[in-house]
Amino acid sequence: MSETYPHRSHDGRPQGPGRRAVLGGAAAAAAGLALAGCGSDDGDDEPKGRKKGEKITLTFWSWVPGIDKPVDLWNSKNPEVRVEVEKVSAVDGAQYAKMHAAIRTGNPPDLGQIEYPVVPSFLIDNGLLDLTKYGVGEHKDKFVGWQWQQSVFGKAVYAVPQASGPMGLFIRRDLFDKWAIEPPTTWDEYEAAAKAIRKKGAWIETFSATNGNRFAGLAWQAGARWFGAEGDTWLVSIDDEPTRKVADYWEALVEQKLIKTIPDRQNAWYKDVQTGAMASWLGASWGDALLVGNAPKTSGKWRVVPMPQWKKGDGAFANWGGSTTAVFAKSKYPKEALDFAIWLNTDPESIKLLIDNGYGTPAAKQGYATSDLDVHKDFFGGQEYSEVFDAASRGVDTSWRWGPATDTLYQRLGDAFTAAIGDGGSFRSVLKTVQGQTISDLREKGLKVKAG
Amino acid sequence: MSTEVTQHIPADGAPASGTGASESRRPGRRRDGRRPPLRHRVITVSLLTVAALYFLMPVYWLAVSATKSSSDLFGTFGFWFHDPHPIDYLRRVLTYDDGIYVRWFGNSLLYAGAGALAATLLSAAAGYALAKFPFPGREGVFNVVLAGVLIPGTALALPLYLLFSEMGFANTYASVLLPSMVSPFGVYLCRIYATAAVPDSLLEAARIDGAGEARIFTVLGLRLMTPALVTVFLFQFVHIWNNFLLPLVMLSDSDLYPIQLGLTSWQGYADRQPELYQYTVGGAFLSVLPLMVLMGVLQRYWRTGLTEGSVKA
Amino acid sequence: MTGPARVRRPTRTQLRGARAAAGFLLPFLALFALCFLAPIGYAVYESLLKVERTGTLGLGGETKEVWAGLSNYATALEDDRFTAGFGRVLLFGAVQIPVMIALATGLALLLEAASARWVGFFRTAFFLPYGVPGVIASILWGFLYVPGISPLVEIAHSAGWDVDFLSRGAVLWSIANIVTWQFTGYNMLVLIAQLKAVPGELYEAARIDGARGWQIAWHIKLPLIRPALVLTTVFSIIGTLQMFSEPKVLKPLSNSIDSGYTPNLAAYNEAFTSNNQHTAAAEAVLLALVACVLSFGFLRLVGQREPKEPKGAKGAKRVKGSKGKGGTSR
Repeated sequence: MSETYPHRSHDGRPQGPGRRAVLGGAAAAAAGLALAGCGSDDGDDEPKGRKKGEKITLTFWSWVPGIDKPVDLWNSKNPEVRVEVEKVSAVDGAQYAKMHAAIRTGNPPDLGQIEYPVVPSFLIDNGLLDLTKYGVGEHKDKFVGWQWQQSVFGKAVYAVPQASGPMGLFIRRDLFDKWAIEPPTTWDEYEAAAKAIRKKGAWIETFSATNGNRFAGLAWQAGARWFGAEGDTWLVSIDDEPTRKVADYWEALVEQKLIKTIPDRQNAWYKDVQTGAMASWLGASWGDALLVGNAPKTSGKWRVVPMPQWKKGDGAFANWGGSTTAVFAKSKYPKEALDFAIWLNTDPESIKLLIDNGYGTPAAKQGYATSDLDVHKDFFGGQEYSEVFDAASRGVDTSWRWGPATDTLYQRLGDAFTAAIGDGGSFRSVLKTVQGQTISDLREKGLKVKAG
Repeated sequence: MSTEVTQHIPADGAPASGTGASESRRPGRRRDGRRPPLRHRVITVSLLTVAALYFLMPVYWLAVSATKSSSDLFGTFGFWFHDPHPIDYLRRVLTYDDGIYVRWFGNSLLYAGAGALAATLLSAAAGYALAKFPFPGREGVFNVVLAGVLIPGTALALPLYLLFSEMGFANTYASVLLPSMVSPFGVYLCRIYATAAVPDSLLEAARIDGAGEARIFTVLGLRLMTPALVTVFLFQFVHIWNNFLLPLVMLSDSDLYPIQLGLTSWQGYADRQPELYQYTVGGAFLSVLPLMVLMGVLQRYWRTGLTEGSVKA
Repeated sequence: MTGPARVRRPTRTQLRGARAAAGFLLPFLALFALCFLAPIGYAVYESLLKVERTGTLGLGGETKEVWAGLSNYATALEDDRFTAGFGRVLLFGAVQIPVMIALATGLALLLEAASARWVGFFRTAFFLPYGVPGVIASILWGFLYVPGISPLVEIAHSAGWDVDFLSRGAVLWSIANIVTWQFTGYNMLVLIAQLKAVPGELYEAARIDGARGWQIAWHIKLPLIRPALVLTTVFSIIGTLQMFSEPKVLKPLSNSIDSGYTPNLAAYNEAFTSNNQHTAAAEAVLLALVACVLSFGFLRLVGQREPKEPKGAKGAKRVKGSKGKGGTSR
């Protein structure tokens, strides 16, 4: 498979010469004139491999706060293979837009922080390097099985897992106590709690139309399977029974005005979190740092409880976020990039630094204790909250698969929910619309696809 | 003066209906004197004041907010100060991430300054050529350039990006600078101005004196076209400074960002680093200050130049 | 471009002239070709191709670009989100542009009428927002729109009026407000410049004739600043069609802005989020086409009196004259 890994000259575009000629014709006169020295002088994109003693620099695109700390540690230990972090914006999927763009430009970084859901979309662009030929296989046992599997396609392994985001419910314990409301353990209780909180003038949560990521998590928990494969054909089943159940549930909450509909993790949301106008947040394990950073004055008042269940005692959980360290196909030093990626995600010192900055639940099996993850114990009133996420992690249904256009899917979901909430359309119609759109989106990408 | 004026009326042909209507009211109006009545002045000034409040209010908010911490930004009344630390916060804006803000500012200056300067010179040369040298196909060229004025720059940004990607210089300074150097509007303006302000006789005289065309252009042409050039420069400067889509599309390396792109990227990961909200606002304030001062000081040039643009229609 | 063969009986001077003209024109034309003509050509070319993928599930296989005919245009036009964006932008333009131009004209006339002392202050105040880039203006107004943070919402609320600037019905007009805020002062300045270019004697004469202030404004000033009005309107039409940064910046703050809110945003997302450069190219071509048709159409509509260069010359001289009169900028 690796030979299909493309150098521009070999990417199988039959129109290659024609296109180049067209371009040349259109722009040659202009380009030749003023551009001497402006173009990239990288020449061929053949991986070079580092010569002994040669000093190289790898670029690494990430948005994880504090990622520079383990990187600094690496740099102090490996002066010859420097890694340079470039922070990319993570709003609205901007970081992936940039990465796709850079791949097309032929000028991507060496390494990138890529979340599990979007790994496949980079694969259909041939954007990531199959790491098997650089020996990634020998590290397999160091990682949690299902997270490792998220980057395995066929026999190829395309990324090194870093962390996951098992979901849990953050609650303002003080407010729940004051109002004599029990933390909900089922979705029925959650609705009851929402009503009770509403009577006190506050809100339990927001349903953010544009957060497709979390909605996927909710569907995941309910047992949905949005993507599958049959031979070489993608199966899409966004409009399946479990997802409908989830959609109906949240639609009812929105309709009864038991829940806000503002975007989450934006100005107004932070304000609500700071003031207690919102008494809980259905988040994920990486959310602790987010709350600590944005609502420092609420310290000691928060607790984490397990995600509510559809049936009491079910033990079904889901994952929101979580990411990998991937090596881009154009990296000139794939071996060194892989070494760094493995070190970053398995070395105990590195994991410790990552944990301190709140990056989620490590994908590595060893090198830390669950209690190490309780970085913000005081903020959660001394609770060993990572136990909750750890338990959730074990309950995540591991057969969930992501499709090849997740960013587009999120956007579709966001647009459709936006319209449904704005115009009072039903959430079921959202699923129907998005199901149809996703099928045609995949087809537009030149893939074989049918409804599952 | 008045005699001159009365002579002027028929010559200029004031609108017939206007004259007719005003004729009958002449006596009443005379008694009012030339100053508008107090009531009118009060209304005028009040309306202007309301408008000024509207235009200045967000700027005022920005100035106030630049002195607040991130949590006060969300937690306190927006139109009043709360525990202000302007110097401290602005210093942090400037020094955050090894002073990346200063670098962005420099980039913006480079893009806008160098881009506008080059655009002005190129426009001047092209406009001068179109005005002063009759050659076959001249009008055709001019019309194509005119069409360029009407095509939205942002519609071009995407294809331009794809094109530059293929040519291998996306994500370089050149990828933003080169498109910024092209101003069809500037060419249009320069042609019109050169036609009017650079007399053929002067050029002939210079030629007879044996001056080369390049020299005639640089010594005579540029000097005579100066007012138009100032306009083109300012226009293009602001245009580049404000352009968001082009750098957004072209650049991925944050070291190359102009200031707006940098600030939105700060805002972008502020949810993980809340202090960035404060830096975004403080940075916005710092970036807006010099431009606004520039606007105020250079108003006169704007007004002079802009009329020349408007004769187009 | 020089084409000396076509010049009839080329004298030495003419040849020299043609060569010089070519030398002056070429640098600009080369860049113009690179940054305007080439991308248009390239977009058209790209818009006629599509991608085909092979390999299991399209993963790790080969990617081919094949001829697609007009199917990308069909895809773009069948996409509700893209067409809705066009409708939205047209609606926006139909409302916002007249309002802004009227406001600019009103302010320009008021400033003309006001007593001299405060004129400089007001004019500067109105023009300042033009120095605030669209992105920053949007970040700024974003803070003034978000409920819970905005002092405006707070004030309105305490006055018993619950506004939500970011709701589905309101957000388009909240964006219109940002654009109006930014560009009214600029348009006003253009109009003032044109008003100054009108010989003062004309007003004087009308006044002596007994015309009232508003009559002078309506019958004399407005017709005279018509060219400036046309110019600002055309620029506003172009600006409206390219609307991008405002919805892009406000999108995360509002649950009412979708990914195809404006055609430009749709094309951007198609290219970058969905990574479909061919559909994106088709959308860019459609956008450029509509922009051209609208701008040219408007010029046609108002341009019965096609001005030739001599008129421009007159304009240019007038300005110089008006500068001499001075006093106004202080």
